Amino acid sequence: MISAFSILFLVALLSISLHRSIWLKPTALLALLVSAYFTFNGASVILTGFASNESIRLFELILEVVLFALVLHIEEDITITQTLFVGAASILLLQSVNILSFVISFEALSIISIVLVSYIQTKEQAEGAVKMFIAAALATGILFLGLMFYVIGGGDLLSAVESKNIFEVIGLSIMLAGVFYKLTIVPFHGWAADSYALVRHSHAAILTGIAKTVVALASFKIFAPFIMANIELYVPLLATLAVVTITLGNFLALFQKSIAKILSYSSIAHAGYMLLAFMAVKSEYAKDGILYMSIAYIFMQSAAFLVLDILRKNYNISTLEELKGFASQNRIVAFFFTIQLFSLAGIPLLAGFLGKAVVFYAGVDAGLWYVVLIALLNSALSVGYYAWIVKGIYFDAFSSKKIYIKIALPIFAQLILFVGTVYFGIFASTVFIG
Amino acid sequence: MSAIEFIFAPLVLALVLSLVTRGNNSLSKYISLILFAFMLSFSINLFSQLPSKGYLDLGSFLAVKKFDFILTLQVDQLSVVMLVLTSSLLILVALSSWSMKNQAMYFNLLIAFSGAIFGVFMSTNFLWFFIFWELTLVPMYFLVGIWGAERRVYAAVKFFLYTHVASMFIILAFFLIHKESGTFDMTLVKESLLLSPVLIWWLLFIGFAVKLPIFPFHTWLPDAHVQAPAPISVLLAGVLLKMGAYAMIRMVILLLPETSQQYAWIILALGLITLFYSGFMAIYETHLKKMVAYSSISHMGLVVIAISTMSYAGLSAAVYEMLGHAFIIAPLFLIAGFLHHKTGSWQMQDMGGIMQKAPYISAIFVLAGLGALGLPGTMGFVGELSILISAIKADGVWMAVVALGSMVGAGYIIWMFRRVVYGEMSEIVQKTKFSMNPMEFLSLIIFAIAIVLFGLFPNILFDIINPIFVQYTFLGGAL
Amino acid sequence: MQNLALTLLLLPMFGAVIAFILGKINSKLAFWIAEIIGLALFLITLKLFMGFNEPIDIPMTWFTLGNFTIPFGIYIDELSLVMLLIATGLGFLDIHFAHDYMKKDPSQARYYAKVLFFIGGMILLVSAKDMISLFTGWEFMGLASYLLISFWHESKEPADAGMSAFLFTRFGDIFLFGAIGLLFYTSGSLDLVNLNTMATSGMIDKDMIYIISIFIFIAAIGKSGQFPLFPWLMRAMEGPTTVSALIHGATMVNSGIYIVARLFDFYVAGEALIIVAVFGAISAFIGATSALVQNELKKVLAYSTMSHLSLAFIGLGAGSLAAGMSHLVNHAVFKALLFLSAGAIIMSASHVKDLWRFGGFSKKMIGVAIFMGLGALSLSGIPPFSGFYSKDAIIATTLLNPQTNGLISTLTIIAGVLSVAYISRVWFLTFAGESRDKELFEKVKTPSFFWITLPLAIMAITTLTLGFFQDDIAKLVSGKVYEEPHVEYVLVSLLSAIVFVAFIIYMYYVKRLDITKKVASQPLMKAIHKVLFNGYYVEFFIHYFSREVVVGAGAKTINWIDTNLVDASVNGVKTLTQKIYRLFGKTHSGYAGDNSGAMIIGLLILLVILISGGAM
Repeated sequence: MISAFSILFLVALLSISLHRSIWLKPTALLALLVSAYFTFNGASVILTGFASNESIRLFELILEVVLFALVLHIEEDITITQTLFVGAASILLLQSVNILSFVISFEALSIISIVLVSYIQTKEQAEGAVKMFIAAALATGILFLGLMFYVIGGGDLLSAVESKNIFEVIGLSIMLAGVFYKLTIVPFHGWAADSYALVRHSHAAILTGIAKTVVALASFKIFAPFIMANIELYVPLLATLAVVTITLGNFLALFQKSIAKILSYSSIAHAGYMLLAFMAVKSEYAKDGILYMSIAYIFMQSAAFLVLDILRKNYNISTLEELKGFASQNRIVAFFFTIQLFSLAGIPLLAGFLGKAVVFYAGVDAGLWYVVLIALLNSALSVGYYAWIVKGIYFDAFSSKKIYIKIALPIFAQLILFVGTVYFGIFASTVFIG
Repeated sequence: MSAIEFIFAPLVLALVLSLVTRGNNSLSKYISLILFAFMLSFSINLFSQLPSKGYLDLGSFLAVKKFDFILTLQVDQLSVVMLVLTSSLLILVALSSWSMKNQAMYFNLLIAFSGAIFGVFMSTNFLWFFIFWELTLVPMYFLVGIWGAERRVYAAVKFFLYTHVASMFIILAFFLIHKESGTFDMTLVKESLLLSPVLIWWLLFIGFAVKLPIFPFHTWLPDAHVQAPAPISVLLAGVLLKMGAYAMIRMVILLLPETSQQYAWIILALGLITLFYSGFMAIYETHLKKMVAYSSISHMGLVVIAISTMSYAGLSAAVYEMLGHAFIIAPLFLIAGFLHHKTGSWQMQDMGGIMQKAPYISAIFVLAGLGALGLPGTMGFVGELSILISAIKADGVWMAVVALGSMVGAGYIIWMFRRVVYGEMSEIVQKTKFSMNPMEFLSLIIFAIAIVLFGLFPNILFDIINPIFVQYTFLGGAL
Repeated sequence: MQNLALTLLLLPMFGAVIAFILGKINSKLAFWIAEIIGLALFLITLKLFMGFNEPIDIPMTWFTLGNFTIPFGIYIDELSLVMLLIATGLGFLDIHFAHDYMKKDPSQARYYAKVLFFIGGMILLVSAKDMISLFTGWEFMGLASYLLISFWHESKEPADAGMSAFLFTRFGDIFLFGAIGLLFYTSGSLDLVNLNTMATSGMIDKDMIYIISIFIFIAAIGKSGQFPLFPWLMRAMEGPTTVSALIHGATMVNSGIYIVARLFDFYVAGEALIIVAVFGAISAFIGATSALVQNELKKVLAYSTMSHLSLAFIGLGAGSLAAGMSHLVNHAVFKALLFLSAGAIIMSASHVKDLWRFGGFSKKMIGVAIFMGLGALSLSGIPPFSGFYSKDAIIATTLLNPQTNGLISTLTIIAGVLSVAYISRVWFLTFAGESRDKELFEKVKTPSFFWITLPLAIMAITTLTLGFFQDDIAKLVSGKVYEEPHVEYVLVSLLSAIVFVAFIIYMYYVKRLDITKKVASQPLMKAIHKVLFNGYYVEFFIHYFSREVVVGAGAKTINWIDTNLVDASVNGVKTLTQKIYRLFGKTHSGYAGDNSGAMIIGLLILLVILISGGAM
């Protein structure tokens, strides 16, 4: 049956033959457009264990738009193919409704991510890839350990989660820990801090921008009933994890010298904000919150890492020191970068603000205003390092010599992501559908 | 143009202009002047449409029913007064930035700021209010950080971070209000609907206190004021601080009257501390612009005292003083910035005898200074008199200490005159040529006229201000 | 009549603007405009005075503040008219005099504009109906005084003097400002006439009246240069002498007395008059003694002004409105005369002010010598000059009042007698004997008759004639027929003392300069001289207090708190975050093994929590 998933999957397979031809990129872009069309018209994966709804469809659409921008930006043929695979796996994961389909698509996404980063050319990339691989392997082990417990407890893999006995609770909890690896929740975050900064920035954009949001959204859908059922136990636990993740991420981002490092830690902190939605599952706004957060995050984080890619490739900039006075180097890129950074910081009229606002509101609505206060103060603290990057771009004197480079497609990709960030910063009604 | 366009058109315009202009292109300058003139006429026009009681509805947009996230634009007298003040100050600020370097981007940011600030004063939805409230920070951050003086980066980042942290308290309060009353519409929220008004009161109070600023949350302001280019200091003092006072009146005093009544003594005490504390800071200061900045804080202390009375007269006095402060402190900042620009020094001991070199500029400086110390015939006196009277009426005899504040004011202002304007010329002054751009001088003249005109005929303003608070009745206040 | 009164108020203000603008074109124009307006003001006042039958009462509202109404009314009665006559009459003569005095000044436009502005302020003050318009006039004068004292702002001393004047008077003014608030609170009325009635009828709390009276009196002290706020008056002599004559001799300094007189019933009701008398007595003594030893001509006059205003205060304080106010009127005239004479001397002597370089000037300017002599006689209290009657009335009042009979009356008599000493010292040192500075003497020019000597003559005649209208003045200012207490035996002893002291002065300063030096070189005399010369070190103490305590200790402490506590705690957040950053940095080693270890440990902790947390 024709659906967004099947198109992406097939074109991804097909695209291998198109490597080293100029048709690869147009084909991939076309495939994304077509799949977006099908998503828009409501075609879904017709497989047992998968289903779709309004909000999933919205997110798929956005995912395809972001992938479109990514493909526009990416130059390596192999990465384009893998991006399409990531798209296909993501759609699967998003649509999974029971434990089995979730585990399968989660692992699929995990494997593709590892394949993605194994395109190694430098020592740093190797280090990043290996660290990620080890962590992923461990996480898979944990996930399956949990699955085992769950099955022992008599859990049905083909239906929605249940937690009738201690084995099921322990099993699901362990599985959640496996998922937290992908979400980079402290203490499962160690790999992310290094890998995001070490691997290719375009790869990092996929890892943090796409994989993380998709996992967050999908696992929220799967695990929300479970957390709801064990709310007394889970609220303090998740609140602690969220606060620790946010605080650790933000503080470690503060005085880093490398921009990629700052963004990696900011990505960890954002995972903490997402976890607030898990914590506030009691509130009806929690699912809006995680959706909005994911939408905002997918735009701004991908865009930020793509900018890093432009910076490293074209201007050989990777630290704050080298970024000084960049506005006079290329004011378009500087502008887009600034907007995305402000979005990450949670400055209004940008998606990042509303994403945080809805999640935080869900927290307040669940009666946890003191946890939200900590998160809010952290968010304010995070402005410190985002504003510091912006300060480097605009306020500091331009020192190195000016390089004139024409970069058309990446700029266009940035424009798409910019429009997304601004659109979802203003027109919130698109997200609040259910 | 309709109300919503006055918010978003400037934002879009700024974006478009920043694509087509760069460097010293003066297109943005003229466009901004035209835009601000439009804004002024729009705001003045609003007066005629206002109903005698309640709000004038200017439309709702971008509704998200579930989250009550609706851009509701409603104005009452208070908002319109603020809009008129803002737009007229924007015109004057544009005039006084006439010879700014790298002006294309400068004016683009100014245009963006104008949209955001209109949003602040027009939206009655808490979330949208907050959005615009935060949005004003961004152009300010760049304006201070790029066009500022030596320590501009420190000042800009400190300003941005400090006020942003304060905003976090505000939005948490808004969330709590929505949770407890089910709406983000500030015209619908009543104190009796709220379960935890005390918590909300404290969150809002601290949030707005930073913006005002009230001791001990004031330290961002001297740095920001000093490092910002002079016209931006005017904007900071004239508009950004007023935003804090506006929010304090609307969202603390009028929204939570009972809790405010309970904690009025805290507001009062902090207002008094702010008045004298920054007054003494100003006395000790040798840095000209920093002294003016402290004087600005000191005057905001008066506003806070007036707000704390929670009476009809007190709030009217607070609004008058807000306007007076904007007009009085503006020329002080502009001239302080001008002197620094010409002499290259901030220190008062490096100046002296400016009167001999630039008599007219000095005369305006003296006039504004006299306004700041509350001399009759200027807006400063009417403001101080109104606040003194309303404070004594509301809080008793011992509030006569407010009068002492103007002695402290006289102390630093007159001493500053002695060191800067009068006396023998210093070496630096002797070899400096004090020539000013005619447009910038024009804005100074307008400020000077406003100080005297509204100081001699305060009824022009009070006729507009008094009706604002007629509709509110207060628990223990004088009304 | 009302229109005339309003013209009187607005004319000087408009005149100031016009004089400034036209004066920029031609400085002569500024003078003529000022002269014409000055004359017009005097004539208007005269017309009001002649046609007076009932007080002109123009109640006006300035602005509405919430539910309060802030008034700004005009009220002109006999008391106001007397003050108006002084202000406009002396003002006109002063402007006339300035034609020569300010002839060479490049910024005449500014000068005349400021003088007109000052006269406007004075007119507003004395025709005020309520506290608000009174305070406005009060502050306008303060500003004008500040601007005129530092008229020659390009040099250090006038600039310093202006600052000093503004700050000292401002210190008093804020108490007046506070009094407005207190009055509004306690009585709800700011109307001056109304306040008197209310206070007398007991509608206001007596303690509040007392406090408000003290507040207002502090303002009066500041404006009238009384102890302890007098040092500015001495420094104000740095301004043009015409300004000293007008502002610091004849008009503005009177406003302190005027306000106490205006609220006389209020003071009576509050039983605050004794305070007035006490401070008056102290100031009278300090002023009179310090005037004895000053070297500068104008400083002597300044201290004498202080001392004589104190006498007026004592008169009021001892309970006689008529005595105090008549002394104010008399003093205004003869002090203006003395100051303008001093102006004539200084102008002729190339702006030298040092008495010891004068001498024998009567040869060059006999007119000035005579008229100044007449002024000096009036000041000394020699009958039949006006000064005698009022001084005598004041001394008599203090003796008759049991509260003031004693120390206050003694101090008053001392001050009264000493006035003869210092003024004759000035006169003798300037006009009598031989020139002590030949070079200067050669350069001394004879002043013009029309511009300089004529105003002096008019004033001299006035001070002489006023002596015959004392009862009328007393009636005018106190509003009732007043039986002046005269004490004959005081008169006799006083006269003898005056003649005696004058003789000593003459001997001491003119005939036997060698004795002078001998006496002056004694250590005790030296010490006394020093104390007197420095005005009892009051200025020194106040400066010390404001510099060391207010600025040095107070402001410095607050500055320290701000830098090291308030702002440091804000900046300390950065240090703190840096520390936390380093602490957290330890959690991240960068080794893959540690990452995995953390994951496993995290998992274990999770399990422990789940199980111990009673996951069923």
